[in-house]
Amino acid sequence: MPLSTDLFDRLRAIVGAEHVRHTTGDLTPYARDATPLFDRLPDAVVFPADTAEVAAVLRLATEHRVPVVPRGAGSNLCAATVALNGGIVLVTTRMNRIREISPTELLAVVEPGVTTAALADAATAHGLLFPPDPGSRTVSTVGGNVATCAGGLRGLKYGVTRNYVLGLEAVLPTGEVIRTGGRLWKDVAGYDLTRLLTGSEGTLAVITEITMALLPAPADTGTGIAYFPDLAHAGRAVADILSAGIVPATLEFLDRSCVNAVEDFADLGLRRDAGALLLFGDDGTSDAVRRDLNRMAELCDAAGATEWTLAEDVAGAEALLTARRCSLPALSRLGSLTILEDATVPRPRIAEMVDRIDAIADRHTVTIATFGHAGDGNLHPTCVVADPNDTESIERAHAAFDDIFRTAIELGGTITGEHGVGAAKLPHLRAQLGDDQMQLLSRIKSAFDPARILNPGKLGS
Amino acid sequence: MTGVFDPEELSRCISCGFCLPACPTYAATGDEASSPRGRINLMRALETGRLDADDPTLLEQSSACLGCRACEPVCPAGVPYGSLLEQWRDHQWRGRHRPPLARLLTIVASLPPVVRAMGWGRFVLPAGRGIDKATRPATPGTPKQPAQPTPPAGTGASLMLGCFERAMFPNVSRAARTLLPGLKVPDDQGCCGALHAHNGESTKGRALARRLGERLPGRIVTTSGGCAAHLADVIGRDRVAELSEVVDVSALPERRVAGRRVRVTLQDSCHLRNGLGVWREPREILSAVADFVETPGANECCGAAGTHSLLRPIESRRILDRKLDAIEAGGADVVVAVNPGCLRQLRTGLRRRKSRVRAVHLAEFLTKPDGGARTR
Repeated sequence: MPLSTDLFDRLRAIVGAEHVRHTTGDLTPYARDATPLFDRLPDAVVFPADTAEVAAVLRLATEHRVPVVPRGAGSNLCAATVALNGGIVLVTTRMNRIREISPTELLAVVEPGVTTAALADAATAHGLLFPPDPGSRTVSTVGGNVATCAGGLRGLKYGVTRNYVLGLEAVLPTGEVIRTGGRLWKDVAGYDLTRLLTGSEGTLAVITEITMALLPAPADTGTGIAYFPDLAHAGRAVADILSAGIVPATLEFLDRSCVNAVEDFADLGLRRDAGALLLFGDDGTSDAVRRDLNRMAELCDAAGATEWTLAEDVAGAEALLTARRCSLPALSRLGSLTILEDATVPRPRIAEMVDRIDAIADRHTVTIATFGHAGDGNLHPTCVVADPNDTESIERAHAAFDDIFRTAIELGGTITGEHGVGAAKLPHLRAQLGDDQMQLLSRIKSAFDPARILNPGKLGS
Repeated sequence: MTGVFDPEELSRCISCGFCLPACPTYAATGDEASSPRGRINLMRALETGRLDADDPTLLEQSSACLGCRACEPVCPAGVPYGSLLEQWRDHQWRGRHRPPLARLLTIVASLPPVVRAMGWGRFVLPAGRGIDKATRPATPGTPKQPAQPTPPAGTGASLMLGCFERAMFPNVSRAARTLLPGLKVPDDQGCCGALHAHNGESTKGRALARRLGERLPGRIVTTSGGCAAHLADVIGRDRVAELSEVVDVSALPERRVAGRRVRVTLQDSCHLRNGLGVWREPREILSAVADFVETPGANECCGAAGTHSLLRPIESRRILDRKLDAIEAGGADVVVAVNPGCLRQLRTGLRRRKSRVRAVHLAEFLTKPDGGARTR
């Protein structure tokens, strides 16, 4: 249902005429995010400048029962920011100031449109570390990271976004501004709404300010790579490393297809003939880093690595990590459509999950390349389809992923480790959470959003 | 399907958004529509008929894009954005939608050089910037195809004069001839067609490049990064070299001014860097003969962007002002350009603000004892 002229006038009055878009051309770039196969034109796009403008837009939307979809950079992989029911896409990119970095309190206060990399760089400039580093860190916004509880390459040692969110300012769909948590690690006054909003995917409130914990930057970092005959061998090395009591900052694996796609892009001189690559790294004091790297290399060797090497310098290590972060888009060199998932299993089941994914790919005759965060069991099986218009292949890919999700749940895992549910995985959520919890989610949603205007068709719907 | 685009090229983008931070127009607006990913979604809407060619957003964005191709080296999926942009403008700028100034400029570029040198070409003609399809760098700032170390002199190589450069900056090719005396310099050269290719006439642009390739057999050395990239796309990377790939500075004395080494910085040519992957070479040369200072953002477009500075002067100047601030803050005596469009843009801007920094082409920098620095 197109929005009325009156509603557009009121939106313009709130954010300014130049910050409201309404033509089909202007809306087209906001019809999708980084998720394939989801595409829906919103009716309006607005760019509020501050919390007050966000509140006014939400009040208006609730009054008129118009859906509102909050959006940062649109780099999410679960169609969390696609306006399934039309309505208003509310973009936070104008709210992009870093308000404070406090080395004494070890925290940062930022607006939601600040990019992850900008926050990390600002922390680094103060000798601090912002650990969460999702693959899209140069693109993604901190607001989006909180909304999806983004993970990343350092998850094993440092946890994910939720472990660093100390406090939030958020606007309820009815227009009230709430502040949850604050600047303290210890604060148990009330339900932990900070945690509830973290990962709520824009379905409960619009986050307008984030107080984020930081850590002192480690003195040194180091990275190495090991090649294995196949992913299963790499999986065994991962198990050996973790059971040896090492909790490395980085433990990533890629199968042969991924290694080749990354090498096509980054030209790092990776071995294209290896069955799997394990990227391992740690940070801390120089001695500890050196010692752990060497031990990890020895354990890889013992687990059947055909070759291993340590990065010579920081630049070399950073190049490896950058290349790893590009795995997904690089895979699209193999085919025009890449459907990526992030089924996650408990660490001891990684090797088994890898084998099961292979069997599932064979059964459905689809090409699945797998990479992922081996250390925390977070796999990214990616189905590559040559022709985006080949509906039969896409159906087979979806059938394969149904099996993969079932298998992940069966092994005690989850349908999504870090990408989120969004519209893409909502149909699978009930299988994991069950009826009772799905109903509870819906009741929580109603408590925040009685008119159910905020990001409908996603969590809580 | 309207058949505007090469379907394989258009489908390669998976909308990951890794290009957003590299795009100067997205940085300026924060609006997805002015990002490479957003523009590709607009192209797709044109292709599927969701939008028709009269759509104001399509017209605006096809023109607002600088065509700097900074999105290409950062694209893990290898989307040939420059090529898609050419296809877009070919379709979008047909007939009445073609900016009149762009039409005028491509006509001027096709005139015989004598006419251009005498007349109005001197005043209006901007730099061509090449778009190549076949050669693109692999990773941010990594040249995929390093220059062949073939000596250009005495091997049948020719110096390309460039239709814009020979009219506006005749001293550049004079300097290049001094540096590379073995080069043949035929007078009857014609235009490489880069300007046409980037302004909605890619067929003509490619035909002109092929003709130039026939007129100058063997290896072609150019002092224009934009021409180099376009020419390499059409006639092959192995037949094209940009000055910094072939000049030997080992015998050149250091550039000095006021009793010290000249402090010099470089403004990359977008297409030389993003299209051909050439960016280390000029830096190595400048470091060998002077004190080189890197300017933050040197890899970003200066706002000349082919016809952009003429078609969209206000935006162009905004981009330029930020860049000139950075250049002046770095304390360089000279900023070196490797493309005539960038040279014109930088020189105009520096003069306007009465800066002590001078904009000089690489060839001139290497032939003047003081590198063209202001003597005090």
